[in-house]
Amino acid sequence: MPEDDGLAVAISGLHKRFGEKIAVDGIDLQVPSGSFYGLVGPNGAGKTTTLSMVTGLLRPDAGRVLIHGVDMWRDPLAAKSLVGVLSDGVRLFDRLTGEQLITYTAMMFGLPREEIAARTADLLALMDLREAAGTIVADYSAGMTKKVALACALVHAPHLLVLDEPFESVDPVSAANIEDVLRSYTASGGTVIVSSHSMDLVQRMCDHVAVIAAGSVLAAGTVDEVRAGETLQDRFVSLVGGRHVSEGPQWLRQS
Amino acid sequence: MVATVLKLRYRVLGNTLSRSVWQLIGFIAGALWAASVLGMLVIGLVALSIFQGLEVARVVSVLGGALLVLGWIIAPVLVAGIDTTVDAPRLAPFPLSTRQIMLVLTATGLTGIPGIATGIAALATIVLWLRWPIAAVIALPCIALGVLTCVVATRCMATLSAGLGQGRRGREVIGTVVLALLILSGPIVTSVLSLVDRGADLGVRFAQIAAAVSWTPLGAAWAVPGDVAAGEWLTALLKLLIALATVALIWVMWRRALEASITSPPRRSAAKARAGSLGWFGRMPSGGVGATWARSLTSWLHDPRYSRQLLIVPLLPIVFAFAGGIDGGLFLLSPLLIALMLAIVGYTDISYDGTAFTAVLAAGVRGRADRLGRTLGAAVIGIPITIVLTIVVVAVTGRWETLPALLGGALGIVLAGYGVSAVSSALIVMPVAGPGDSPFKSVPGQSFLTSLSVFAVWGVCIVVSAPTLVIALISVFTGQMLLGWIALAVGLVVGVAAVVVGIVVGGRTLDRTGPDLLARMKAFPR
Repeated sequence: MPEDDGLAVAISGLHKRFGEKIAVDGIDLQVPSGSFYGLVGPNGAGKTTTLSMVTGLLRPDAGRVLIHGVDMWRDPLAAKSLVGVLSDGVRLFDRLTGEQLITYTAMMFGLPREEIAARTADLLALMDLREAAGTIVADYSAGMTKKVALACALVHAPHLLVLDEPFESVDPVSAANIEDVLRSYTASGGTVIVSSHSMDLVQRMCDHVAVIAAGSVLAAGTVDEVRAGETLQDRFVSLVGGRHVSEGPQWLRQS
Repeated sequence: MVATVLKLRYRVLGNTLSRSVWQLIGFIAGALWAASVLGMLVIGLVALSIFQGLEVARVVSVLGGALLVLGWIIAPVLVAGIDTTVDAPRLAPFPLSTRQIMLVLTATGLTGIPGIATGIAALATIVLWLRWPIAAVIALPCIALGVLTCVVATRCMATLSAGLGQGRRGREVIGTVVLALLILSGPIVTSVLSLVDRGADLGVRFAQIAAAVSWTPLGAAWAVPGDVAAGEWLTALLKLLIALATVALIWVMWRRALEASITSPPRRSAAKARAGSLGWFGRMPSGGVGATWARSLTSWLHDPRYSRQLLIVPLLPIVFAFAGGIDGGLFLLSPLLIALMLAIVGYTDISYDGTAFTAVLAAGVRGRADRLGRTLGAAVIGIPITIVLTIVVVAVTGRWETLPALLGGALGIVLAGYGVSAVSSALIVMPVAGPGDSPFKSVPGQSFLTSLSVFAVWGVCIVVSAPTLVIALISVFTGQMLLGWIALAVGLVVGVAAVVVGIVVGGRTLDRTGPDLLARMKAFPR
């Protein structure tokens, strides 16, 4: 690793447009090493686009992404080996069994063979997927699919985990187990970035948070700085706006 | 109700077309093609009615109509795929009775491009009966009945295939079997033709077949006007009853299948491997190449989208054997054509990954390792098939002196194809059916682009293997075995060189284009 300034991720001047629509409009973010960083924002704010550019999946129009000092778009192979990714809304190689999928991912990172078997077994146990190890992923439920994807993101013990909507449709018991693992991961120096719509979850789990809307950062810092005494939920709504107080249309009311 | 859904369907079509220029071009090309075929058909029918008598008109009407019905039942698998814009599962949440759903689906089938084209073509057959006014009048309801049979049969097939499958594996097997039957239909038809009456000329044989088909559900409706024109009223009435019974029976079958599929949608089949059975992932070395190799090989063996392409390959020489006999030149040269088929199966390999390609990209697998792994996966299957089939074909003809030449030519083409594919698949992605999708599902905008890029890839592949091919063909036609051995050597050397260059160039290309390929695949309509 080159010079480490204590930042797991340094994003500067990130831009991306799709045709007419500007999806990300000049985002700067610093994610300290060892932090549990939440990324929140309304639908279409540019969270997934930003995370895709951070993880080398989407080429930015402008801007720079440094992962522990390694430029993601200058030296993608070195940068990607530091990162574990859970993407939202993409398919997995779902013709493989859960066990094969994790093994395959580990093989792509070139882990030694004897290491792979042990890690796969640990991950299957951690995700409560031991029963389903031999079932092909296409036959998994939504929550199980999410969990096996998370296992794939973890298997090469990355320095940075980037998780897009990691707890969506995951059952509460598994979510709590995964949360424990992620906490001990950050406690040991690993960095986690999660995007989520659940303010409660972000307020509980994360120590840092950035609020993104319309492709720009509205607020960023430690959770306590950003929420400024309010709950994160209230602070988010007042930052982003668009909340309307209403009972809903008359015709929808049943009495 | 029906009108609302029809409006919706055209709105969807309009929106899809306005989304991408390529789809619009594809659509217009398809429409023009259909129009030109229709035009020629009408001209042919007019000429027929002027210059030919009643007997020919009857044969044409029955056989043409029967082929049309047959085409509606099976063609969607091979060419177009059934339009799933409006289908039963999507209508299920709305408060519609099964009858209404069936009416809506029938109406959308009739008013789609294929439905309209079929309708026009069928109406054009009226000119055949203009000399017999009563027959022409009676033809009108019969044509309506025939077209209705087409549409209802297609819908019934689609529902049945979804229901019968009851899960992934079943659907995949059905799709593959239907495809195999289709490819073999040529030989089947020729052998049926030869069975009928060996002595008679082709016209008489066709007349005999038409007479038989006119009593079947496929041809009954189309036979009625001809029988009326010939004054055979009783036969006409019986055939009309058969035609009516056909539609009614299909309708009832469809209704049953639809009710079953709506109340119990296809279940998950829990295909379970023993935990710890890693398949190829347990055998290949760790690393980018080994991982890609193992996955590629797994796809070739288990993903029907790959394995179906392999299934076609051994059928090709069989088709040629029926077409020209085993002594024909076409059969002897069929290894080269097999090689051409095998050469391009991976030319847009990454498309089959779909958005799962994210995993490859996120892992930072080097382009070169990815190319090498995919090529090895394809070669482990493709090279033995090429060698075995070439030997089998040569053994059947008994012309062993052509073996080295044919082997050289075939391997030369296949290897060149792997080299070209290693580059082309780093550049081209296109919408393909998902891994679990029904074989009946069509992918919008695919066919036009497919045809364009396939020919480009084939072209390069033939250019690269041209030296080998020329030497091999000269050897086969002159019978000089020494030239054959030279062809084999040249084929292997040029082929391996093509693979090496392809992997290096393709690898460098993929390192550059990876994120762009993913962005394009994410934008495909799903």
